[in-house]
Amino acid sequence: MRNRNATAYRFLAPYLLIFSVFWVWPIISSFMISFQATRTVPWRFAPGFNWGRLIGDPAFFNALKNTLLILVIQVPVMIALAMVMAVLLNSPLLKARGLYRFAFFAPVVVGEVAYSAVFRLMFSLDFGIVNKLLNSIGLPKIDWFSNVTPAMALIMIAVTWRWAGYNAIILLAGMQSIPEDVYEAATLDRVSKLKQFFHITLPLLKPVIVFCLVLSIIGTMQLFTEPFLITERGGPGGGTETLGLLLYRQGFRSLNFGYASAVAYTMAALAIAITLVQLWLTREKQ
Amino acid sequence: MATVTLSNVVKRFGAFEVVHGANIDIKDGEFVVFVGPSGCGKSTLLRMIAGLEDISGGEIAIGGKLVNDVEPADRGIAMVFQSYALYPHMSVEQNLSFGLRMTGNPKADTDRRVKRAAEILRISELMDRRPKKLSGGQRQRVAIGRAIVREPQVFLFDEPLSNLDAELRVQMRVEISRLHKELGATMIYVTHDQTEAMTLADRIVVLRAGHIEQIGRPLDLYDDPDNLFVAGFVGSPKMNFIKAQIVGRDAHGVVVELAGQEKTRITQPLAGAAPEAGSKVIVGVRPEHFGSAGEGDTDLVVAIDVVEHLGGTSFLYARTAHGEDVVIQRDAAKVPTTSEVTVSIRKSYLFDEKGLRLR
Repeated sequence: MRNRNATAYRFLAPYLLIFSVFWVWPIISSFMISFQATRTVPWRFAPGFNWGRLIGDPAFFNALKNTLLILVIQVPVMIALAMVMAVLLNSPLLKARGLYRFAFFAPVVVGEVAYSAVFRLMFSLDFGIVNKLLNSIGLPKIDWFSNVTPAMALIMIAVTWRWAGYNAIILLAGMQSIPEDVYEAATLDRVSKLKQFFHITLPLLKPVIVFCLVLSIIGTMQLFTEPFLITERGGPGGGTETLGLLLYRQGFRSLNFGYASAVAYTMAALAIAITLVQLWLTREKQ
Repeated sequence: MATVTLSNVVKRFGAFEVVHGANIDIKDGEFVVFVGPSGCGKSTLLRMIAGLEDISGGEIAIGGKLVNDVEPADRGIAMVFQSYALYPHMSVEQNLSFGLRMTGNPKADTDRRVKRAAEILRISELMDRRPKKLSGGQRQRVAIGRAIVREPQVFLFDEPLSNLDAELRVQMRVEISRLHKELGATMIYVTHDQTEAMTLADRIVVLRAGHIEQIGRPLDLYDDPDNLFVAGFVGSPKMNFIKAQIVGRDAHGVVVELAGQEKTRITQPLAGAAPEAGSKVIVGVRPEHFGSAGEGDTDLVVAIDVVEHLGGTSFLYARTAHGEDVVIQRDAAKVPTTSEVTVSIRKSYLFDEKGLRLR
């Protein structure tokens, strides 16, 4: 048995080597870097330098506030929307089901830069179709890029557009695994379709919903592309700067790797903490 | 309790017709079993009575009231599914009470009904458990309990014992029979297992390929089948079929000669017109209707392949001189030790070439 294990590890060795060098080591290395002052040459060990700055940095709290705001508003709205989409996709009345599934899933495979560019055009103050539509129903134009609230809303709309279909497909797979005869039994029990949804579908989908929530929380904690490309590096005036963007700004524009590492670890810790709370709240009660 | 009447009921899936004009009258309090091989339309028929499948043609009435366009929940029926269809996230108590709670039934009445169902099915000690913590038999009881609490006019069972092991199936069969006596409700039960049908039913409806082959009491179907299919389907081991031809008629009936065995002739009483001499027919003989040599019209020598000992009874799996397989039932004490045995045919059934019974 020992020989067989050794052979297996020899086969795994190339992968384990690459994994160690490019995954494990950077994780350890960045943790060590977060305790060093990296804006001096040579770098020096100063545990309070980055972590101390983090506690009192308004830019960090601004990014944290923005990230959590997106998390609290966008994630539930997106999951709810995904649920509605999944219910519609699951309807036996729906024709051309395959086409709709593809259409809902398509945003995930669209290039991030391309979709960001299209969103910038669509929400442009003077030429965008969104403002034209608002005008056509008598509402004033919105300057999506110059005011913080519309800019945040735009980020949330974009992220929701991109990921709602993806989550809907996962929820749909979960829905389709619920046996049809459970619904038939409920129908014979005189339970309305709406009550069937709330008392059968939702409880049975709980593990899938939790899975989607965990993925979305982790995704939102790392949110970077949309505020970077759509609202131009977290604009206006840092109004849409997220933790991911702060990390990028500190690490790769200011070359302050120590502080960027501290931000990265904070992001990871927050994602883990929120996910654990989430799992605890939705745990199976015996 | 209620009557159930099916008049020319048809079911089509697209252009494909799966039930071809079924006519069945089920009496108040009767236990009727739909039996037939897979794909014969028995479950479809049951689901049409439940309202879970639309009816393509004909009429269904429950308690004298036409229900073609009545919602499943308003038909006064309750159904037990093959897969149990329990709500996996609810306890047994919640499973039983769910429908009543959701429809705003008074709590005291719901509690009374749940308690009664639990007592009838002896599941009172399981009320806090979830379905995954129950055995197959216990799940089946909960599924039946869920039907009982609805206090329906008609109980529908869709192959409820298929997922249970052999021993539990026998036990649950007795339980369902007891339940029918206790509740006195009209029950319609679907199965592919003729033993279940024979043991449970007041009347059996035998189906094949969407057609009703025969309706009757279990022993009537056994003793007096209308056709080759019913004769072969009802009874275990099944009836033996031996090719034969008509050779003439005498005072007692029609004389038939078994194929390939010139001297093996039997006389079959026949009230109706006999087919012409030379017509091909099929002689049906139940395993227990083979007697010892000299007990019947004619003797037949068969070669024994295998003997199955079941205790008091044994089955001889044998071949006729013409190469046809036959199963012969014998008392264990009378099992021959030779490789060949002479048997007689004490009672037989005659079928024409199309498989219809010649009476």
